[in-house]
Amino acid sequence: MEWLLSALILIGAGFTLVGSIGLAKLPDFYTRLHGPTKATTLGVGAILIASAVYFSLHQSLSLHELLITLFLFITAPVSAHLMAKAAIHIRTRSIQRTQNKPEFDSEHR
Amino acid sequence: MNLLAFNLPLVVLLPFVGAAFAAWASRLNRLGAAYTSGLVTLLSLALLMPSVPLPFHDQTLIQTWDWVPDLGLYFSFRLDGLALLFALLILVIGLLVIFYARYYLSAKDCMGRFFAYLLMFMGSMLGIVLSENVIQLVIFWELTSITSFLLISYWQHRKEARQGARMALAITGAGGLALLGGMILLGEMVGSYQLTHILAAGDLIRAHDWYLPALILILLGVFTKSAQFPFHFWLPHAMAAPTPVSAYLHSATMVKAGIFILARFFPALSGTIEWTLLVGGAGLITLLIGAYTALFKHDLKGLLAYSTISHLGLITLLFGFGTQLAAVAAIFHIINHATFKASLFMVAGIVDHETGTRDMRRLGGLIHYMPHTATLAMVAAAAMAGVPLLNGFLSKEMLFDQAVIASSISHWALLLPVLVTIAGLLSVAYSVRFIMDTFFGQPKSDLLHTPHEPPRFMKIPVDILVVVCLAVGILPALTVSPILETAVAGTLQAEVPDFSLAIWHGFNAPLMMSIAALIGGVALFLKRDTLFQLYQRHEHVDAKRYFQASLQGILNLAQTVTQRFDKGSLQHASAWVIAVSLAAGIVGFAGFNGSLLGETPVQSVDTLTVIVGLLGALAALMTAIWHRKRFVSLVVIGVVGLVIAIGFVKFSAPDLALTQLSVEVVTIVLLLLALYFLPQASPKEINRVRLWRDALLAGVSGIGATLLTLSVLTRDFDSISTYFLENSVPGGGGTNVVNVILVDFRGFDTLGEIVVLALAGLGIYSLLQGMTLPAPKNDLRGRLWNPDKHPLILQTLTRLLLPLMLMVAVFVFLRGHNLPGGGFIAGLIASVALIVQYLANGIDWTRTRLQIDMHWAIGLGLLIAIATGLVMMAMGYPFLTSAFRHMHWPVVGEFELASAIAFDLGVFLVVVGATVLSLVQLGRLSHSSHAGSTWKS
Repeated sequence: MEWLLSALILIGAGFTLVGSIGLAKLPDFYTRLHGPTKATTLGVGAILIASAVYFSLHQSLSLHELLITLFLFITAPVSAHLMAKAAIHIRTRSIQRTQNKPEFDSEHR
Repeated sequence: MNLLAFNLPLVVLLPFVGAAFAAWASRLNRLGAAYTSGLVTLLSLALLMPSVPLPFHDQTLIQTWDWVPDLGLYFSFRLDGLALLFALLILVIGLLVIFYARYYLSAKDCMGRFFAYLLMFMGSMLGIVLSENVIQLVIFWELTSITSFLLISYWQHRKEARQGARMALAITGAGGLALLGGMILLGEMVGSYQLTHILAAGDLIRAHDWYLPALILILLGVFTKSAQFPFHFWLPHAMAAPTPVSAYLHSATMVKAGIFILARFFPALSGTIEWTLLVGGAGLITLLIGAYTALFKHDLKGLLAYSTISHLGLITLLFGFGTQLAAVAAIFHIINHATFKASLFMVAGIVDHETGTRDMRRLGGLIHYMPHTATLAMVAAAAMAGVPLLNGFLSKEMLFDQAVIASSISHWALLLPVLVTIAGLLSVAYSVRFIMDTFFGQPKSDLLHTPHEPPRFMKIPVDILVVVCLAVGILPALTVSPILETAVAGTLQAEVPDFSLAIWHGFNAPLMMSIAALIGGVALFLKRDTLFQLYQRHEHVDAKRYFQASLQGILNLAQTVTQRFDKGSLQHASAWVIAVSLAAGIVGFAGFNGSLLGETPVQSVDTLTVIVGLLGALAALMTAIWHRKRFVSLVVIGVVGLVIAIGFVKFSAPDLALTQLSVEVVTIVLLLLALYFLPQASPKEINRVRLWRDALLAGVSGIGATLLTLSVLTRDFDSISTYFLENSVPGGGGTNVVNVILVDFRGFDTLGEIVVLALAGLGIYSLLQGMTLPAPKNDLRGRLWNPDKHPLILQTLTRLLLPLMLMVAVFVFLRGHNLPGGGFIAGLIASVALIVQYLANGIDWTRTRLQIDMHWAIGLGLLIAIATGLVMMAMGYPFLTSAFRHMHWPVVGEFELASAIAFDLGVFLVVVGATVLSLVQLGRLSHSSHAGSTWKS
């Protein structure tokens, strides 16, 4: 059991790290948007599962984590969606690969 | 049930309760207010009746309840001869005035408002005269200032009424402050604020170093209220009030309050040379100035106003003599003046009512139209002039007698009999003028309507008062003697000196002076034309102008000083605050000798704390540097808030961390809503000098705060937290000490805070109500806002969030007493849940689905909180004590049901109400600001 929990925590931490690096390193807004969403869903999710399992085994049944997960799953996509919408509206600069409408770029930039 | 144990406070408080009833009754029936007021006055009088015999048997009735005993403050009432006389005057003349006003007020005037003010004024006056505690006396004193302000400004649409009321309030209010100072000095000298002790300690007071300052302060209160020179000028301007008000305020009550203080503290303060000079001097000057000016007033009420000033001066002068017989004369004149002056004011009101003018130059010959009123006026005016067989004659004789006695003191005092005779002469002259110019001579034809007698019942109060004037004047020993003797005994707090109330004392000096005054007065009236020309030369000397000029001067000074510190700029104001606290800190540090650090060694710090701390400092710095990039600085401010929250978690304050987090969310929403209306580009506002000054201030205060914290934390000190930690469970029934402190130990503080929060919420609401601001249609680069106002994904998912967040709020609320949480945090979480709905779905959508008026939430919350406290009080515990019991519910588990949870519910409701109300109102502002543009929500 120890091994499983440790693995979960490590996975969570790993995804959070990768998400943070992505946020810093990726070339444009749309790609960067991926970073934090990975961190909040998979990263935090794994850690929460670990927490729920650990406390349910050692103390009484612990379901707070379920609620946190629920909150995250509702809010993370909404915020990502809103940010993306805003980015499209103000036409943030983006790299070639994220543009599926090339004429957009040539006309306005 | 012994009525004598508690009737006095009822007598005083009944008019206040009655005022509400009178205001309500006027809605049912126009005259309802008048009848209610009459009934209330009668009831007060009836309640006073059982205790009336006591003062006649030399007994003083005192009824006392604890108020704040530690401060010497008691809810305490006293009835002795003096108090009885004044209470009867206030109630009986009040009854007559109510009767008179019922006919005087026209259909346009709001009856309820008038009678409610009048009753409140009556209650305040009764409070002054029946108070045993001097601080309580001052409270009622201030109440008379306020209620008289309301009464004088009753005709709010008239400019002179508003001005006169403001002047009266400014002068008497300032005097009230001085009086409070004097009373506190007096109480500190004696060691008690109870009149019984103060009156018995006259010798101690007169020998005390503080005697003179206390005397001057008290006299300032007296002179302002009783319109004594040099504060007499407010009274004529107060004549803008309806005549029944003038009849009441300036005959028996308001202006007599000052005189009452003179009489009340006569045994404690009189008998020194300072008393005689100050009181007697002011009285004499006022007597002469008032009588002289009254002669030249063309307005009936103006004449009566200055005559009132002069008679008040007369009474003050008598008290100034300081002898016991003079005090007898003063009390006697108080009664006489109240009767004849009230009837004269009522006559002036009748004349005004029937002819439409009070200008004596336009009046004349009214005796042909209203013989009854004219007869009444003549008798009352004769009493004012001091004609024999009327009450005014008796007290004026006593004044002359006292003046003759006092003249033997020194050479200068020889002037006294001459001066009072001149005053008497002037008063005869203006009384004759009042009658002759109004009722005799040629009838004038340019009146608005042909005058006729007023309704029968309007004259009844005047009839009664005039009959009293006659009865006292003819048979003084049978009528006024007993109550006068009792009142004098109450005033002097000693044996009543021998005095004789007789019309005939033989041919002596006072009689000669009276005869001289009468003949001289009539002669002066006949020769008045030359005097009028003389007066016109200095008529332009108007105290009102000086008053307004000095008032404007004070206002300008205040404005100049304020503008130095408050230029309407937040940065400027906070710079001052920081600079001053820095200066205070530096002074403190400079005066402190000893090592900066204490004995306790400084704890070692771990890396994490340092990193987080540095992060916070860096974020704070960035906020300042990036302050012109608004959104960036907003994000950085968020970082500062998060760091603080983490700090709270680190140092085991989860409650504070939770609060910090939820406040952070609300603040960011608030700032975003506000930023929308601020200029999009922040101009560069500060120059290099300002920059360095601010940096210096910030740096030095930061270092100072660090040093201060270090020097405190390295010392052993007793903190109060031990007490709270130990008593939290046994005393408050909760293991969450923070919450127990909030709702129980310091519940009163919390109550104050939620009241402030409620007021702030309501204030924001009303400030923004109906406001439209120019809202930008696009951003700086000219991009229009996104037309998709409420994105579908946002809408759908936030609707899912609402029940979840409310569940969290309830959870946090319920566990608050024992674990981190509580009403405040739960309230913030619930507010965020609601605000998110408003943001995602729009105001209209949410409002149709969430039909809760946040005003009601605020009101209900406050009510619940206060009711919880009151229930505990009713059960005999201090306000807001918590009662608790442990409960066990299946599923939910063990929890506590404390009365504190009801209080916490109040907190919760107020927080939700105030937060949602103000944020939604801000949001609505952007909504309405866009209503005219191309966008529809």
